[in-house]
Amino acid sequence: MSNFEERLLSALKEDVAARSAREGMVATTSVRRGSRRRVVGLAAALTGVAAATTVAVTLFSAGSTPAFAVTKAADGSVDVWIKEFREPEELEAKLAEEGVKAQVDYLPGDQTCEEPRNGRSQAGRAGEPMESKIGKDGKGISFQLKPGQITADETLVLRVSFDHAHPDQPPTATSLQIVEGEVEPCTAVPLPEPNGPRPAGPEPTGPVTTEKFDTGGPGKDEGPSLDTRND
Amino acid sequence: MRLNEDPEALEAFYRRHVDAVMRFVVRRVSDPHLAADLTADVFLAAVDSAHTYRPGRGSEIAWLYGVARNVMAAQQRKAIREVRVTSRISGRRLMDDDDLGRMEERIDAERRVRGALEAMRELPEGERAVLELVAIDQLTVAEAAEALGIRQVTARVRLHRARRALGDVVSPQAVYVKGQA
Repeated sequence: MSNFEERLLSALKEDVAARSAREGMVATTSVRRGSRRRVVGLAAALTGVAAATTVAVTLFSAGSTPAFAVTKAADGSVDVWIKEFREPEELEAKLAEEGVKAQVDYLPGDQTCEEPRNGRSQAGRAGEPMESKIGKDGKGISFQLKPGQITADETLVLRVSFDHAHPDQPPTATSLQIVEGEVEPCTAVPLPEPNGPRPAGPEPTGPVTTEKFDTGGPGKDEGPSLDTRND
Repeated sequence: MRLNEDPEALEAFYRRHVDAVMRFVVRRVSDPHLAADLTADVFLAAVDSAHTYRPGRGSEIAWLYGVARNVMAAQQRKAIREVRVTSRISGRRLMDDDDLGRMEERIDAERRVRGALEAMRELPEGERAVLELVAIDQLTVAEAAEALGIRQVTARVRLHRARRALGDVVSPQAVYVKGQA
């Protein structure tokens, strides 16, 4: 890409970042409800006040980083990288844009969805194993859908249970499967081994329970850190 | 789409479409500085109106061309009234001499297409809009309908009328209609 195109991209990003900062300032004037997003807004606002020229860089690397990224490669495969478990509807919409029907549910750390969620097989579909990777520090997950791996009649079902008070901790349970047809909405039920609310403050990272519904490919959970994927 | 919140989504979207947008623009204007300004304006407009995009309803490029058409129309109105409105990003200021040269090459490459567009100028607006998107910008009829916010059957009828009205005004080489030429 030539210089004009790159400069225009940078200018657009700065424009978006500056706007986010402005909106963050507006948000902090309203009642704060202590939600994570609100705090992010405050951070963005403070950054915007401190130094307008550094807003772009700061926002991209800290406060308002996007919750996920969905990218389509030249060969038609779709890479999904979820950094924070929020905005599930946005993720569904983004996947729909790439032709993937998806049902995404983010649940409290001690809950899961009642199974089965539809009248048909819940065993997942036999096919190529889907690789899912969990970040080195437990933040987020990433996986790839290869071309043809999921058809228009199938639904990608992602369920993540995590402690909402500590979204930076690894999820307590993750399920990723491809099912025929559509799934019923999630009915939250307690996890078989309840994982109660954690005390506030830093604590060691607990074990990650990852339920994989692929067809038994070799364990790939210890994939490269998400932090290395700066594409 | 969260183009206005998500820098990664914005970058991916931009890289997917920057070439198509520049081509769209240089098919319609022959001034490289204005072309740079309009390219920036189209992406700014896309960011501002990203919430209007409905993934299930049509292709991304169709939606973006709809946005681009609105930007071009606004620019033409500005030109008529000689109103100078400063955009948030000045595209021309982002160009160096090399970029200017490349933009001029792009403009040259689309000279014949601009000629074809010129020949369509006499058509009624509704028909011209469909023909432009299908013949010039190579959208499918369904995508053109999506870009213009009209029904497919309406787009088909307008396309048919436009092609018949143009008759031999535009050479078949200049106006190639996908799958129908």
